[in-house]
Amino acid sequence: MRPLPNVDGPDQPFWRALRRGEVRLQRCGNCGLSRFPVARFCPQCRSETSEWHPVAPIGIIETWCIFHQPYFDGLSVPYTVIQVRLDCGVRLFSNPVGVETGSLHIGMPVEGVFEDITPDVTLLKFKPRTDYR
Amino acid sequence: MARPGSVAVVGVGHTRYGKLPEYDAYELGLWALKEALADSGLRFEDIDGLIVNRIPDYQRFCEIAGLNPSYVSTTPGQGRFSGICIETAAALIRDRLATIVALVYGNNGRSGGDRYGGAGDTYGSGGGGQWFAYGMTSPGAFHALMARRHMDLYGTTADQLGAVAKTFRDHAALNPSAVMRTPFTLTDYHASRYICEPLHLLDYCLINDGGVALILTSGERARDLAQRPVHVRGCGMATALAPSTFPPDDFWREPMRKAAAMSFRAARASHDDISALMIYDNFTPTVLLSLEGFGYCGEGESGPFAAEGHLALGARYPANTSGGHLSESYMQGWALNLEAVLQIRGSCGARQVKDCAFAHYMAAAPVVTSIIYGRDPS
Repeated sequence: MRPLPNVDGPDQPFWRALRRGEVRLQRCGNCGLSRFPVARFCPQCRSETSEWHPVAPIGIIETWCIFHQPYFDGLSVPYTVIQVRLDCGVRLFSNPVGVETGSLHIGMPVEGVFEDITPDVTLLKFKPRTDYR
Repeated sequence: MARPGSVAVVGVGHTRYGKLPEYDAYELGLWALKEALADSGLRFEDIDGLIVNRIPDYQRFCEIAGLNPSYVSTTPGQGRFSGICIETAAALIRDRLATIVALVYGNNGRSGGDRYGGAGDTYGSGGGGQWFAYGMTSPGAFHALMARRHMDLYGTTADQLGAVAKTFRDHAALNPSAVMRTPFTLTDYHASRYICEPLHLLDYCLINDGGVALILTSGERARDLAQRPVHVRGCGMATALAPSTFPPDDFWREPMRKAAAMSFRAARASHDDISALMIYDNFTPTVLLSLEGFGYCGEGESGPFAAEGHLALGARYPANTSGGHLSESYMQGWALNLEAVLQIRGSCGARQVKDCAFAHYMAAAPVVTSIIYGRDPS
């Protein structure tokens, strides 16, 4: 069985939004900094007020690596992990879709792909942006 | 003449390294402590400060070792803590909270079945469970991400990473205590399997059992003991913890620059004075990043610097002369500090660096530490 995120934990609004094909992140009600995973206080201004707000699922690939050693049952190797920085500033680890690993490059613009993997879990993956260049 | 406030290492000890399934972490630590006390000429009763590392509980350790020190604490089993413990011990001694401080490390990770990746992974900020669904896990992958970016930005190559691994293995071949002593070629390096590309098996540290202990005291007290003291001439520390779930944009360059400057200033020494480098080598890329951050080469120049051979015994900056974590023993910084002491004592035999007056221990991580050891007190 592949590893699954806890979609009913404190980050539930994030996972529920992915289910509907959108990305929602926690945003500080005082300074506006977006953050993920969930935290009670803003790490920038320490305010306790926040809201979940929709963000554009677009960003760039900052770096990547290819797993050859298996660590999880249900994930067959090799597979590629990318580090993405969304335009709103939040960073995520994810997997690329629709692109050969050999074609990846640092700074590559990407957009979100919503991949249903169980009846309850949708993962946010990324493909190269078609509206770019 | 020791100047007031000076601190010295007066005893070092270690266990055998390898598979030691009959010992737990407490027992490995106690074995190493017995060796370190014997080395120093001190007795268990003389210890009035104790910091245990990776050993889970100071109380249990004191019970089995028969110790009642004035000061105790327990620190987590992360490699960055060896430097933190040594710097803390120096501060305790300077502030006279303790006179004879024992630092004790025990690691039974090999026999205990520790895995660095997968469902039990706790590396990083709060553990990586958030990202397991995408397959992201392990400190090795975190460093593979940094290596890939360094390659893209500066043209660093796998051959250059391989040169680091090969150099340290060549050093281990001269060290009877090292776990892995058979030299390999760059062809062997490329043939070793990928764990997390771009990193091969030979870019990764070992996982083995063992223990290390160090005894520190004041410069004044050090004069009467069994060994010629090795002085802790300068310490520096800096962090990059907020945020630290993702690799740092600057490869930890800024905290390394700060920690290095702090330690060189305190040591009243410069890079030109350093004879040997002890570089925290959990993975080969960390060695390259450290050379840049601690100022031994320019930004982006570490790959060619390593490949040109400057880290080999006989060259300008022999590094990890014991073989380091990659080939000697995964003692999370402790055995590298021990090696720095042995080099300055001049007791390293076939791997001795000629006229080693200063050795520099450095660790690149979210907590950066920098320690300069010297033969002379000031």
